[in-house]
Amino acid sequence: MPQKVAIESWDPDYGVPTTEQAEESDVEVDVGVEMPEHLWAPVPAQAEQRPEALLFIDGVRRVDANAWLEDGHSPVRQGMFASFAAGAVRVADQAHVDRVEVRRTLFAPGNPEAFVTRAGTYEPFGVATPGADALSSALQERLGDLEVDVAAGVAEGADLVVVDGPLYRRQHLPRTIGYVKTHRVQYLNGRPAETIAALAEGQRTPVFRFRTSWTRHAWYLRLPGPRRHAWSGVVRLEATADLPLDETLALANLTAGVLPRYASKPHKDPRAPQNLYPIAGLERELRRRLGDAAYVERALRAAAG
Amino acid sequence: MPETLDTPGVGRVLGTDDATPLSFWVALGPDQYLQLDDVVALERLLPDDDTVRIYGLVTEVRARHEGARFDSDVFLIEDGILPAEVSQAAQILATRFEPEIFVPPLPGQLVYKAEGDERDMALYFDVMEKRLPAGLTRDDEPLYANLEFLDGSRGAHVNISGISGVATKTTYATFLLYSLFRSGVLGGEAINTKALIYNVKGEDLLFLDRDNRDLEDEDRERYGRLGLTPGAFDSVDFYASPRREDPIAAPDVATRQTGLTSYFWTLSEFCAEGLLPFVFADAEDDRQQYTIIIHNVVAKLRDAAEGRPDGGIVIEGETITDFESLARMIADRLQDDLTSADWAGRAIGQGTVNAFVRRLFGAVPHLKHLIRGNVPNPDKHRIQRQAQVTVVDIHNLNDRAKRFVVGVTLRRAFDEKERAGQQRPLLFVVLDELNKYAPREGSSPIKEILVDMSERGRSLGIILIGAQQTASEVERRIVANSSLRVVGRLDAAEAGRDEYGFLPAVHRQRSTILKPGTMILSQPELPIPLVTQFPFPAWATRASEAAPGKGNDDGDDPFRGLG
Repeated sequence: MPQKVAIESWDPDYGVPTTEQAEESDVEVDVGVEMPEHLWAPVPAQAEQRPEALLFIDGVRRVDANAWLEDGHSPVRQGMFASFAAGAVRVADQAHVDRVEVRRTLFAPGNPEAFVTRAGTYEPFGVATPGADALSSALQERLGDLEVDVAAGVAEGADLVVVDGPLYRRQHLPRTIGYVKTHRVQYLNGRPAETIAALAEGQRTPVFRFRTSWTRHAWYLRLPGPRRHAWSGVVRLEATADLPLDETLALANLTAGVLPRYASKPHKDPRAPQNLYPIAGLERELRRRLGDAAYVERALRAAAG
Repeated sequence: MPETLDTPGVGRVLGTDDATPLSFWVALGPDQYLQLDDVVALERLLPDDDTVRIYGLVTEVRARHEGARFDSDVFLIEDGILPAEVSQAAQILATRFEPEIFVPPLPGQLVYKAEGDERDMALYFDVMEKRLPAGLTRDDEPLYANLEFLDGSRGAHVNISGISGVATKTTYATFLLYSLFRSGVLGGEAINTKALIYNVKGEDLLFLDRDNRDLEDEDRERYGRLGLTPGAFDSVDFYASPRREDPIAAPDVATRQTGLTSYFWTLSEFCAEGLLPFVFADAEDDRQQYTIIIHNVVAKLRDAAEGRPDGGIVIEGETITDFESLARMIADRLQDDLTSADWAGRAIGQGTVNAFVRRLFGAVPHLKHLIRGNVPNPDKHRIQRQAQVTVVDIHNLNDRAKRFVVGVTLRRAFDEKERAGQQRPLLFVVLDELNKYAPREGSSPIKEILVDMSERGRSLGIILIGAQQTASEVERRIVANSSLRVVGRLDAAEAGRDEYGFLPAVHRQRSTILKPGTMILSQPELPIPLVTQFPFPAWATRASEAAPGKGNDDGDDPFRGLG
C-alpha cells in the first residue's frame, strides 16, 4: 500500500511544543581568560567600525501541517510537514540578502516517501523515535544544518559573520560569532555579574570561557537603547574556543565596534534593540520565501486527497 | 511581427495588483526602465492555442523599497543597515488587442518595448491610410493623426485647449497646417487647400511667410523625422485692421511694415450684404425685443441703399460716407414718427427703439474705421483669400469689432463654400479664443455660424481648428464635434472638468505640468491620448526671428496717396 497521508486539522501552531535548547546544567565557567576576576570591569566602548564584508546569518522555520502516515503494515505514525529557510545578509555599502535556501521536508519516523504538492515537493526525512518532540528537534537540527551550509557558502573572505543564536555546531566557521539575544541561564555571579549590570552602551565585559556540552569563549555587550533594567539591551556573543586569545580579544573588540550600529529601535521592532535590523530584515525575507502559509496548507490538503 | 519575444523583455506582468484587459502593472527587470509614454507589447496564449497580442502605453511608473515597513526605513536602507531591494513597476493602459479578445494579461508574462512595426500597431498607425504627422515623442519618434478624421471623411475639426502663453495653442495649430500643406498627405489637393487664420493676440502670425532664423539644426532634424522640410509658409496674404482716423486706411500693425493690406467693409457692402446683425452681439437672442428692429433695418438698407464708387451710399437722397452718419441716419428714421413704422416695423414701442439705438451708437466708435466710404479703390481692401494662407489680424480691435470681423468673414467663407457645393478643396479656419465667439451661454450670429460650421463643415469642406483657454466655457456642440482634441498646459481646476473626460486621470494630472511645445493629442481611433511634442516653428513668430523676405512685398504702401 502506498504511503497514505492525513493532514491534522488543528492549526500547526497549537500542536507543536516549543523546542528550546535543553536546560543547561553542569556549567563550567572560567572568568579569568582576559583578566583575573577581581579586575573585572566594563571594557571601554570601541570606535565605530565598518568592516568591508559583514555577514548576518539566520534561519526561519514553519510547521505547515501535522499529519498521520499509514502504509498498511506498520502502525499509524505521526509526521510533520515543515518549510524552513536560511539566508545571509551581506552588508557592504548597502545591505542585501545574499543567499536564501528554502527546504520543504516531511519529517516522520521510519522511511517516509517524498510528497509532491503543487506548492513543491516535500523531501522525506526519517526520524529515529516517534513523537512530536522528536519531529520538532529534527526540524530544528535540519534548519541548523541549512544555516551552516549557507554560512559556509558565504563566509569566505568575510571580516565578521554573525550567526543568530548560539554558535553550537558552527564553531569551525572562520571569523564567525554566535549572537544570543535571550538569557535563560545566568552563567556569571559576583563581580562579573555586577560588571554586566555596569555596562554602558557599546561596552562589553571581558571575555570568559564556559563549557556546557561544548566549550566556547563568550562576552556580553550592551547595545544602545532605553535602559529599563540591568540587562536591557545586553546580548551574549560566542566565539570558538579554538582561537588564540589575542584573536579572540580582537574579535570581541570588533563586535563592540560593529554591532551597536545595527541595533534596532523599539518603535520598529518589539525585540529592540537586540533584534538587529539586518537580521529582522532577513527574517522577513525568509518568511516571505517560505510562501503563503494558507496556500501551502491548501496544497498539502489537495495532495493528500 | 515576431511570433516569439525575440526582443529582450523589460519586465513581467505583476500579480500583486489586478491585471485587467484595460490596465495592468509590469514589474521591471533589473537594469531595465520604462518611462511615461513608452509603448509596450506582450502576448498571451489562450487555452485553445490562440495567441492574443496586447499593446499598451506606459502611463505611470513607480519605484519603491521592498522589505521596508516604515517611511524612515529608507535611512536605514541607505546606510546599509536594513536589507531591502528597490522595485520598479510601470502601469500600462492597453491600446489594442490583436485579435480582439479582451482578456487580461497573466501575471508573469514577459513584456517588451514595442518598436518599429509593432509600435505602429500599438498606436494604430498601421491602419491609418493617410497619416498626418502630428508631432514627436520625447525620443523623437514620429506620431501621426489619421487624416480621415480631419478632412471630413470620417470626422473633422480640431479643438485645442490650454492656458494662454504656456500652452502654445496657436503655434500647434499652425504646425498642423504646415504639416497638412507640406507632408504630402493631401496629395495633389494640397495646392488648392486653403487656410484662414485669425491673429488674435500680439503679432505672432504676421511672419508666417518668413523663415525662422533661430531654427537650429537639431530642429531641422526633427522636421526631417516627420518627413517635413522646414521652412516658411509659401503663399500667405496678410490683412490687418486699418488705423483709426486714417483717411488712407493704412494697416494698424507695429512690427511689419510691408506685405500686408488693411481690410474694411464699404458702406455699400455693409448694406447690400446685410452685415448689420454682426454689429450686435446678441442679435439672435429671442429674449431681446430690439432684435426685431435689426432685421427690419437690414431689409430696409438692402432695398434703399445705392452704392457709390468710393464705397459710400446714397439712401433716400442722402449721401453717406461714414458709419457714424449711417448710424445717425438710421436713428433719425427710427425715432421720427413719420418714418418709424417703415424702418422699425409696426407697433414697436419707443423703449425697444431706444434699446436698439443705444446699442447701435455703442458700436460706432469701435467699428467706424472698419465700415466706411470715401476711400479710393475700396475693392483693394476686401479680404480675398487668394493665397494658400490668409491671415486676418484682429488683435488691435475691441471685442465687439473682433466679433464683427470674424462673424462677417466666416459668414462669407461659409456662404462661398455652400454655393460652390463641393467639399474639396478644403478650407481650414484657425480661430483662437473660441469662448468669445461661441460662449456656452447665449446666442449670437457668429456663434450660430460656428455651430453650423462644426455640424455641417464636415460635409461642406470647412474644417475648424478652434482653440480656447477653457473648453468648459465654449459651446458644447463645437467641442463635441471636434474629432481631434488637443490639450496643452491646463489650469488644475480646469483639468478636472467634464470637458476633459477624454483624458485618463494621469493625463489630466500631466496636463497641469506640460511645457510649451508639448501637447496631449486625442484622436478617435486611439483609446488613449498621446503626449506629443512639436518642433520649434520653422517660420518666424516675431519680427526678431524673421529672416529677410523672399517674396515680393506688393502690399500697401503707407505713403501711397500722399505724394
